[in-house]
Parts: sequence; C-alpha cells; structure tokens
Amino acid sequence: MEKKNTFKTALKRLTTKKNPLTVAMVAVLYAVIAYLVYSGSASRQLSNMLISVSCYIVLAVSLNLVVGLLGELSLGHASFMSVGLFTGCQLALTLHNAIPGMPFWVRLPLAMLFGGIMAAAVGFVVGLPALRLKGDYLAIVTLACGEIIKSIITNLKIFGGALGLSTGPIYSNTKTLLPYAIVLVFLTMLLMMNLKKSRYGRAIMAVRDNRIAAESCGVNVTYFKLVVFMIAAFFAGAAGALYGHNFANIKATTFDYNMSIEILVIVVLGGMGSVRGSIIAAIVLRALPEMLREFSDYRMLVYSIVLIAIMLLNASPRFNELRGRLTVKNIIAVLKKKKTPVEETVEVTAGGEK
Amino acid sequence: MKKFVAMMLAAVMCLACMTACGAPAASNVSDGSSIIIGGVGPLTGDYANYGTSVRNGMVQAVEEINAAGGINGMEVVLDFQDSAADPDSAVAAYGKLMDNGMNVFTGGVLSGETASAVAAANEDGVPIVTPTATADAAIVGNPNTFRICFTDSSQGLASANYIADNKMADKVAVFYQSDIDYSVGLYTNFETQCAERGIEIVEVQTFTADTATDFSTQINAIADSGVSLVFIPIYAAEASTFLTQAQGKLDGKIFFGCDGLDGILGKVSDPAVAENVVMLTPFAADDPDAQVQAFVTEYKADNGAAPDQFAASGYDAIYVIKAAVEKAGVTTADADFDAKVVAAMTAIEVDGVTGTMTWGEDGETTKAAKAMIIHDGVAVLYTAG
Amino acid sequence: MIHFLQTLISGLSLGSIYALIALGYTMVYGIAKMLNFAHGDIIMVGAYAAIVAVFQMKLPGLVAVLAAVLVCTVLGVTVEFLAYKPLRQSPPLTVLITAIGVSYFLQNIALLIFGSEQMASPVIMKLPALVIGGVQIDGITWGTLAVTCIIMLGLTLFINKTKMGKAMRAVSEDKGAAELMGISVNKTITITFAIGSALAAIASIFYGSAYVYIRPTTGAMPGIKAFTAAVFGGIGSIPGAMLGGILLGVIEQFAKAYISTLWSDAIVFGVLVVVLIVKPTGLLGKKISEKV
Repeated sequence: MEKKNTFKTALKRLTTKKNPLTVAMVAVLYAVIAYLVYSGSASRQLSNMLISVSCYIVLAVSLNLVVGLLGELSLGHASFMSVGLFTGCQLALTLHNAIPGMPFWVRLPLAMLFGGIMAAAVGFVVGLPALRLKGDYLAIVTLACGEIIKSIITNLKIFGGALGLSTGPIYSNTKTLLPYAIVLVFLTMLLMMNLKKSRYGRAIMAVRDNRIAAESCGVNVTYFKLVVFMIAAFFAGAAGALYGHNFANIKATTFDYNMSIEILVIVVLGGMGSVRGSIIAAIVLRALPEMLREFSDYRMLVYSIVLIAIMLLNASPRFNELRGRLTVKNIIAVLKKKKTPVEETVEVTAGGEK
Repeated sequence: MKKFVAMMLAAVMCLACMTACGAPAASNVSDGSSIIIGGVGPLTGDYANYGTSVRNGMVQAVEEINAAGGINGMEVVLDFQDSAADPDSAVAAYGKLMDNGMNVFTGGVLSGETASAVAAANEDGVPIVTPTATADAAIVGNPNTFRICFTDSSQGLASANYIADNKMADKVAVFYQSDIDYSVGLYTNFETQCAERGIEIVEVQTFTADTATDFSTQINAIADSGVSLVFIPIYAAEASTFLTQAQGKLDGKIFFGCDGLDGILGKVSDPAVAENVVMLTPFAADDPDAQVQAFVTEYKADNGAAPDQFAASGYDAIYVIKAAVEKAGVTTADADFDAKVVAAMTAIEVDGVTGTMTWGEDGETTKAAKAMIIHDGVAVLYTAG
Repeated sequence: MIHFLQTLISGLSLGSIYALIALGYTMVYGIAKMLNFAHGDIIMVGAYAAIVAVFQMKLPGLVAVLAAVLVCTVLGVTVEFLAYKPLRQSPPLTVLITAIGVSYFLQNIALLIFGSEQMASPVIMKLPALVIGGVQIDGITWGTLAVTCIIMLGLTLFINKTKMGKAMRAVSEDKGAAELMGISVNKTITITFAIGSALAAIASIFYGSAYVYIRPTTGAMPGIKAFTAAVFGGIGSIPGAMLGGILLGVIEQFAKAYISTLWSDAIVFGVLVVVLIVKPTGLLGKKISEKV
C-alpha cells in the first residue's frame, strides 16, 4: 500500500511551494553553466571547479541528512567519500583495462553505483556506534573511524598505497563529467527533499527531537539511524567516484578530518536540515577561496575573516531582522512607496529553518 | 514566500560568483612583449614551506633574467598561485593561470597536485617544466611535460647502489614517512635494489604526518637493531625533528638521505645533530661551484636563509624555460609557440645549480648526483672510507 | 623488560604533553560547552611568543614563560570577546564553525608574520635526566608529568573549592539557572577562557622544549589530540582529560613498538572506538540519565 503511493506522493510533493523553487533555481544555474561550458565562453577556472563544487553539493546535502535531520554530529563524512572514490575508481580502472570497448556512459555510472554501495556498507559499520553514543562522543568516534579508514586505504597496495591511486587512464575533463554531476546533484537533492517530507523523514526528525518519545510511538530508532548513515554514505561514495575521475592522482590523506570539517562548515552555514541552504553554502564556500586569488598571499587570511564574519552576521538578530524584511511583499510595498509592513517573526538560528 | 527574495538574492550572488570567474579569458594570444610563466604550489597549510621555497627560487631567477633583458626581448612575468597542497585547488588554479594568459606552466610543487594539473593541461598543449614533482607517474600521459628533478625510482635505486658501491654498510635500517608519496616511492625502490645488491634491511620504522612529533619508539628500535647506517628518505623538516630526538641515542651512525634532506643545516636548531648526514643530491648549498655560490649568496640576501633543493629546482626551472624559448627562437606572439618550445626542450643542455641537464622524449632529465656528508656543521663532498 | 619500560616511558612522555594540552582544552570544553578548535593554535601562538621573547628580545627563560602566558591569555580573552561572545545564544555548532574560522585565522596570521619555515624553540626547562633501574627518564618527561599533575590538582581544587569554581560548575550545568542565581555568565566564561589560554601557554612551553620545532600549522595536531583525549576521559572531567591524554600517548607508543608503526594510527583510534562503545560517556565521564 505504502510503496505503491510513494511515487504519486513524491510527485505531489514536488509541486508543493518551496521545493520546486529550489529545484528551479538549481536547474537554471546548471543550464546557464552548461551553456557557458559547452559554448566555450566559461573561464577555465570556473570550468575546472564545476565537478568539485557539484561533488561538494552532494556531500553537504547528504551530510545534512545526518547532522540536520538525524541530529548527530559526524566528523567522518570525507572518509565515506574516499571509500567510494577508491573502490569506484578502482572498478573503473579494472573495467577500463578488462573491457576496453566499454562505453563511458556505462562505466562511470557503474563505478559511482559500486562506490556508493561500498561506502554505504562502511556507513553501516560506522553507524553502529551511533546506536550507543551521542553528541561529542559520537563525533569523536566518527572522526576516529574516518582516520582508521584513511590509514587503511593509505596502507593498501590495491589502492596505490601512499603513492595514491593513479586515475590517469580514466581521467575525464569537465565537459565529459558535467552531465553526470548534474544528474547526481538532482538525484541527491530530490531524494533528500522528498525524504524530509515523507513519513520516514518525520520519523527521523522525531528521533532527533526526542528519541524516547519517538521510540514509545513505535519508531524503530536502530533502523532509522542506520538507514540515515547508509544513505548519507551512499551519496558521498557516489560523489567520490565522480570526483576521482576529475583528477589524475588521488591520495587517501586528502580525505582527513579537515575535509570532513569543511563539509560540516557548509552544512552549518547553509542551515540545519535545509537542502537549499546546503547547496548555496557549498557554492559560496567553494567559490570563495578561488575568488580571493587576487589577494595572493592574504587569500586564506581573508577567507578565515569572511568565514567568521558570516557566522557572526548570521547569528546577529539585527541582520536577521533586516533579512526577514526582504520579502516579496515588502519589496513590492517599497516599490509602491507604501509603508513597509514589519515582519513579526525574526529568525534566531543560524540561517536555517528549524 | 518569506525567504523567497533572500534566496533569490543568494542565487544571484552564486551566479555572480560563477560568472565573475566565468568571464571569458583575456585570450591567450599575447603581443610578444612579455612571457607569462605560471606555477602552482602550497603557500598555505602544512606544506607551505615547500611551495614558498620554490616560489622564492623562481622569483630570484625571474628578477635576474629581467635585469639582463628578458627572454628573446620579452619581459618575464611570474604568476604563482596557492594550492594549499590540494589537487582540487591546484586544478582550479591552473584554470585561473590559463585565464590569465599563461604561456609556460611549471606544474605543481608536490607530485599529487602536479599529476592532476598536468592531466588537466593535456588538452591545452601548453609546455610544462616542473621543478620538484618526483613521483614517477606525475608527468606520464602529457607529452609536453618535462621535469627538473630526479624521479623517486631513480633516487631509491641510486641510493642503494651508492651504499653498495662504496661499501658503506651491509645491514641498514630504514626510517620513512608512510603517508607521503616521495618517501614511500624512494623506500620501495630502495628496498628492491637492496635485494639485488645484497644489502640487508634489518629494521624498518615509519611515521605519518599525524604522528610526526615523537619518534622515540622508532629511535629506540633503530638503536636496538645495531646497524651503522640508517636510510632516511624523508624531507628536511621531519628529518630535523628525527635527528634532534636521536641525539645521544644514535650517535656515530650514518644517516643516508636523498634530495629531500637538502637544507637540513638551515633547519636544525644545532648543527651538531646533523653530524654524519649523507645526502645524495643534485644540489648542495655548500658546493664551492661559483654558479651555485652566486645563487646561494643572492638567495640568502633576499630571503634570510640558505636555499634548499626546492628553491634550487624552482630557480633552475625558470632558466630551463629561458633556454628552451631561446633555442626555439620564438616569442609569445607566435602561433606555434607551444609546439616549438616543446620541441626545443629535447635539444637543449642547461648548466643549472642542480647540475647539467638534458632531456629525453619522455620528459625525464639525466644529471649527476653528488654525495655530501655533514661534518662539524659543514657539508663536504663524501669520500668513501 | 627494559624495552617495555622504555616504551612505557616514551608513552608517558608523549601522553603527558597530550594531557597538559587536554587540561586547558577540557576546561573550556566542560564549562563553556564549546569545542574550541582554536585551542591548538593558541598553543602555537604561545610557542612563537616564547621564541620571540627569548631569541629576539633576549629575555631570560622565566620572563619568557610569563610573556607567553600573558600573550595567550590576552589572545584567548580577545578571541572570546570578539568571536564567541556574540554567539552565546546560538547553537553549539555555529560556535564550532566560528572556532574553526579563528583557527584558520591564527594559522594564516602566523604564516604571514613568521613565514612557513620551521623555527626552533628555546629550551627553557633544563632538568637533569633520572635513571631508574637502567632506564633513563629525560628531564622534560618527568618535568611535564609533574607539572601536568600539579595543574590537574590545582584545577580540581579551584573548581571544587573556590567560589569562582562553583560559579563555573553552575554555568556548566545550566546557564539560565546560573544567571538567575546572580552569577555573571559572561564573566565566568571569560575567566574560563583566560585560564584555558594560560594553560595553553604553559603547554606550549613544554611542547617547544620537547619537540623543538614550531611551524604555523603546529597547533592543528595537538588540538585534535587534545579533543580526542578530553572526550576519551569524559567531557568536562579534569582528571579524565589527564587520564585520557596519558593513555592516548601510551597506547600510541605501545602500538608503534609492539605491533607496527604503519598501523599505529589505526590502532590508537580503534582502541578509542572500542572503549567509547563500552563506556559511552568516556572513562571518567558522568553517566547522564535521560529525562523523559
């Protein structure tokens, strides 16, 4: 009964107000970018960043499922990505050697699927401690698991060890990879949006808000916690396999806690549980260091100051009040030179919807 | 609808970000009055010292060349971008350099970032002369790429041969960093060649970037193994920590390293800890050669410290580019600039501070390595026995 | 046996440094309830302050220590005032991200001022080595251990016996209720930061004496290790942070000596995961009963 209706209800939800807006925004963005890239008028810097930024969008949206929806702090998301990357790219390399005639549009999705499944399997294992631990204790365990995964991959000969995996033979440029990146971003985005609004999403949020209450209402906490970890890991892994195709050499040490924290920064900045927020924050935070190249040696210093400033601004009630007033109604009112109606609700939390 | 505008504003901002860097490039066709040499490397983060050294060396070479009238009358412009040692950032930086109208690329400083930037550069045909990416695979797959430094495999091999040829030891211990490609690459090739030459490796100790502060366990194990020579294919920064902690525990042993160790004397707190360090390196700041000394004196005046192998390779890379462009006899205004410079690379011989170099079609160089030993705080040429 | 003792000593040596850093970390962590990712970078600043004081200003060792403490305390309080105070009402994750921003900021400022090349720290503590049963214990090892113990006892007494300590515990338990009882939450947290940063300065002196070389990114690793040690021992527990730090160091050295240096990172974190699964609130952490 439930399953039959899932598709219909999903379609119905697509037509609700907020989400189509986000979908439209992303679609327009990608349409413009695709036009720029394929017509050759995009700058090289922009086109070289696109795959990476798309992967970060997927990473942030999927981590948001764990942090925003489930309410658990995870500091090991980059390691899921690295599991997907190394298994997926290794599969692609093997296929490339074994079946030279295999078309790219079969090989890459296969690699992404395989990488995602492997990452989900690891996500299951990492999710197990989450059944017993909470808060910072869980955070440190996810960090530890990430470091263990990094250490294992660095020492495994099959993935190239410390020399890194040479993905040169399967290297592809932005023009080849962009369609796959767009599909992956849309899949992740739509799934998260619909999950959030489905009964599963509500169950997950119930676990976040009050585990005991949720449990007494018959929500299977164990099941939902593991499923969330696995879905998040799956998308991170698939993004990883795609990411690996865009580079010629990939080392496990790149995917350490620093990268996990970077993804977390995106999620927090975008707002807990907000898909759209994650997307915007991923683009802004990834583009920022590149845009700051004009500052040369002061680049990362300026970046850190901007990061602190954004966090402080986001939390400042005055700024939020100002932002709250920026509604269509108010702007139209201003345009009509009427008195601005004051918004009563003022956001307190950091740029997200609770 | 409440956040509609806020969201739209954000979207517009995103688009603005994208199109700001999305504005079409100033075009790659130069007027032939200047030549833009682009480089990428870590200027921030954990590996900032390497990128900074390479850039310092390059800046010095560019200043000298411009003071002497440039290359074929063209003014040299150096555009060096930060990568924070991240391939992701390095590839984006390469794009930025192309947008800025780069004529010759010097790749990255570390092997990983170089491999990805070189792969991304494949479709552009831009000539690449990379100073310090030692991993064998770093330049494979792009026929326009040449490197200044030795490869990991050649260094590991040469080290084992040198130890065997000069009968320095039959039994050795190895201490290497297990999570960086340079160190692992050298060790693996050293191990293979040792088996060939009958050198026995009796003790292998490792560390990672996360545990690079305390080496007492490893030092104890090496001391217990009783060997007289320790092979340390690591970089000078980690080596200085290792040698400082080994002081009093591994006295009298020879520490054998490769080009990564160069500059060790400038990094240790007390020259005494670097006693008995042997380096198989193409460059040594204490080399009495006039050209080397001129470079070292000038570098010290500019940067307040002696140059290491990274700086020397960066310095040489610029002069190699100069030699190739002059040999090709082209300016950046010529349409076939890229092809002619690449063709000239295999025809030139450059006498740089890191040795006399020629290049094969595969982009690899051949040059001699000197073995230097540190005695009483001074590096001198090593003599067997 | 000698080998075992040797490994134990080097474990204690490493562990006591971790513990010393973790004490300052857990202070802020337990009371202000925030993950101060910039703590490690304050240690880095302290180490540079000592270098400047000794080598450039030619100050004697003890004055240099005081200078480092002063610099770190002022820095800690300033950072708290500028970056964390405005976020008092925000969710903890927002503060965490700001702390990461501060960490980047301090690293990059140090990079611009001192350059990327490592600098050697002055050896301020010159203590004689002890030889017990044929095993040599370096001066710095027992010195650090002793100082860590003294600081741990001092902090425990301060928190449990003084009025300020009581206020801190109250703030840690419930900010709102503490405010109602007439405790100035802002003042209490500022003092917590001052103490935490001063402890970071002391840790930096010992870190510098033990490991000599300082770079702008030096603080990152100790910061994450201190976080690990603090959680391992139980959040907010001062003896727990010390125990966690020392155990972390000892496990690390034993894994290196007896199993494999290649896998030591994985083993240390593996032990950590297992211990936390068995004891979900850390070694000495309080068991929190869930309210229904």
